[in-house]
Amino acid sequence: MAAAAGSVGGDDHHHHQQARYPLDAGSYRLLCKIGSGVSAVVYKAACVPLGSAVVAIKAIDLERSRANLDEVWREAKAMALLSHRNVLRAHCSFTVGSHLWVVMPFMAAGSLHSILSHGFPDGLPEQCIAVVLRDTLRALCYLHEQGRIHRDIKAGNILVDSDGSVKLADFGVSASIYETAPSTSSAFSGPINHAPPPSGAALSSSCFNDMAGTPYWMAPEVIHSHVGYGIKADIWSFGITALELAHGRPPLSHLPPSKSMLMRITSRVRLEVDASSSSSEGSSSAARKKKKFSKAFKDMVSSCLCQEPAKRPSAEKLLRHPFFKGCRSRDYDYLVRNVLDAVPTVEERCRDSTQLCGCARGARCVSPCRHASSGSNVVAAKNRRISGWNFNEESFELDPTDKPPEQQQQQPCFPFHHDNDDDMVEHEQEQRRRQDGNDGSSDVAVPHLVTILGSLEMQRDMVMQVLEGDGGGGGGGGETAGREEMLVGYVRELEKRVQELSTEVEEEMARNAHLQELLHERACENHTDSSHTSGSR
Amino acid sequence: MKGLFKSKPRTPADVVRQTRELLIFLDLHSGSRGGDAKREEKMAELSKNIRELKSILYGNGESEPVTEACVQLTQEFFRENTLRLLIICLPKLNLETRKDATQVVANLQRQQVSSKIVASEYLEANKDLLDTLISGYENMDIALHYGSMLRECIRHQSIARYVLESDHMKKFFDYIQLPNFDIASDASATFKELLTRHKATVAEFLSKNYDWFFSEFNTRLLSSTNYITKRQAIKLLGDMLLDRSNSAVMMRYVSSKDNLMILMNLLRDSSKNIQIEAFHVFKLFAANKNKPTEVVNILVTNRSKLLRFFAGFKIDKEDEQFEADKEQVIKEISAL
Repeated sequence: MAAAAGSVGGDDHHHHQQARYPLDAGSYRLLCKIGSGVSAVVYKAACVPLGSAVVAIKAIDLERSRANLDEVWREAKAMALLSHRNVLRAHCSFTVGSHLWVVMPFMAAGSLHSILSHGFPDGLPEQCIAVVLRDTLRALCYLHEQGRIHRDIKAGNILVDSDGSVKLADFGVSASIYETAPSTSSAFSGPINHAPPPSGAALSSSCFNDMAGTPYWMAPEVIHSHVGYGIKADIWSFGITALELAHGRPPLSHLPPSKSMLMRITSRVRLEVDASSSSSEGSSSAARKKKKFSKAFKDMVSSCLCQEPAKRPSAEKLLRHPFFKGCRSRDYDYLVRNVLDAVPTVEERCRDSTQLCGCARGARCVSPCRHASSGSNVVAAKNRRISGWNFNEESFELDPTDKPPEQQQQQPCFPFHHDNDDDMVEHEQEQRRRQDGNDGSSDVAVPHLVTILGSLEMQRDMVMQVLEGDGGGGGGGGETAGREEMLVGYVRELEKRVQELSTEVEEEMARNAHLQELLHERACENHTDSSHTSGSR
Repeated sequence: MKGLFKSKPRTPADVVRQTRELLIFLDLHSGSRGGDAKREEKMAELSKNIRELKSILYGNGESEPVTEACVQLTQEFFRENTLRLLIICLPKLNLETRKDATQVVANLQRQQVSSKIVASEYLEANKDLLDTLISGYENMDIALHYGSMLRECIRHQSIARYVLESDHMKKFFDYIQLPNFDIASDASATFKELLTRHKATVAEFLSKNYDWFFSEFNTRLLSSTNYITKRQAIKLLGDMLLDRSNSAVMMRYVSSKDNLMILMNLLRDSSKNIQIEAFHVFKLFAANKNKPTEVVNILVTNRSKLLRFFAGFKIDKEDEQFEADKEQVIKEISAL
């Protein structure tokens, strides 16, 4: 263990030597907006009393942010107590009206996601990937050694400075296995790998069993969160991030995030048909096909994407992988000259992105922006039943396995969906969709929502069974009580989700009906005025 | 070959003893400049020992903690003044070691030796350590570490009582409003824990200290200009008053016209979150079956304004309980 500490090198800044950043808004001059999210805006700013040192300020609207104040505090505390060269640490934080200002180092080149989308849509050169991933791994080693799980590893959370140095950011959803809920007497022990979640309904948000992270990067056991998960979930996300950097986007990202998650849970997925049968995306797929990745890289990623969490290597072990052995310090220069210099500055990017994608998520925007996957890019898709994911080292992508799932659910009935493996039906649907001129996503969404609903209900029943079983056995003492509490919390979560999803289904159905109506109307119009139709198409 | 000469593995008690010796050294040689190299060396050794204590108590990646080892460690730790030394020396440790030390202290609060919580007994005999921990809020570098330790210590009812009854309670009204968000929030969390965790103790504290406590609470927290202070205070007030064990205090609180006026002002706050939390306290005034005349008078005078306000008072997501409460409040006020 001592060896681990030594090699990873938790380099300690002596923070009494650091400059004290002032705790009032007046001391900072906001220079420009460099990112925005649902409830936060990020600015580039100058700290006037410190010689106008450049900083980044994340202004979180506490009134609008969903998180309660305890969660915001936990994030701030996590950031204040981490000290590693590859981990973004806040200088300070203070409130300005109903906003929390978090003052952080300014990372001039922005996030890797933003770099990808503003200059490298087909991915970065492998030697650049190696250096940035190595630094990310160092950060992960440090976090894991601290018993902290990041839970949201992705290119969007890896920040790069103008000299190519890398910092891992965003601890909004991170959790510490050492942190215990203040008002519970939870069972208190456990190894890092499968730590028992701190129990307690009041603080259920700090439970490991909570949904956290961003769908594409989530490990299966995080989505199937009743299994509980540990630091190995970060390793999975790290593997997905590697693919993201290699291809310019994470696997499955042609689907909107919620759908990608639903599909991973329900094991039903729409797959992109091979480049041969897709004309519209042929060129970019071909470009991807041409890219050659080293054996070491493929091997490294495939070890991260092992289905079995226990078989994934630890961050520390991964650092010793041959893929990272080749990293040289001149690779940073390469990164600066060939990547950082090739993309617009973060200020320019922010200005562009508001016009371009209009997705209100800006800095934290999940790649790719929706516009990329809609419209002309609609690919021929096929519905196939799969039971899980296998990493295909050959094509360097995630592939589904098509073994039938173990817990086959009954297929619910849907009014607008012919759930059938018959390709003809699919084509029919596809064609109708094209004729509609809308992207047809609601047609697909409803059945998936219904399916997920079924799955959630089943999971809830399973949990209830476990609970009842526990109650019958009795006599487990405090630990059982803690576990029971946790399960009850989980059931409540599930119930809430089921409810949310039911409303979503209802809404989708209503929208579907509306669309049908529109379609019908348009069909009538077409009938009467055919010249109009040809013009609009 | 190497295995042949490996020294005997240290027992958990050995690790504690060595930690203690190193802490004593550090404590004695704090100011000396001369032996810097030696001090660095001892410091590194200390860090290693504290990390080892942590891995015995929490387990590590490969193994779960062993009860017997934890018991040994705990016994040795509290047999002498290790906790005191660790707390006093904490500012001299580096960040990583501070964090390890904090986690060790937190864990020790729950360790039992022959079904007794040793830590609680130790703290009862060394209450001045709590004074040290609380004063940590005045030092930015150690506030978060001492704060975490403090919250673990007040899990013990007797220790929470000590803090509640001490003069420190008054200081919390300052700490909560410190400009540094991390530290102010940490102090808030401790304050809340003190006032909600041990029900009977809290009820007794609130009845005995009603006057000064709620006077401070109203004027400094609920009427603060700081958004976070106000939002956390109104939430805490609701939690306290709605707790069954505090019903006597609640009755007293909702019988005061001054309190009512503060709550009515909070209902008009520009923050929706504050309005909603304020409503959960305001409804107690309205629902009180024995409203004093002064309270009735205020409600009657403002009746039309209040009814108009509640007519438009909605929360984003549907909440049956909220709607039911609102109906009830409207009914009560209309009937006055």
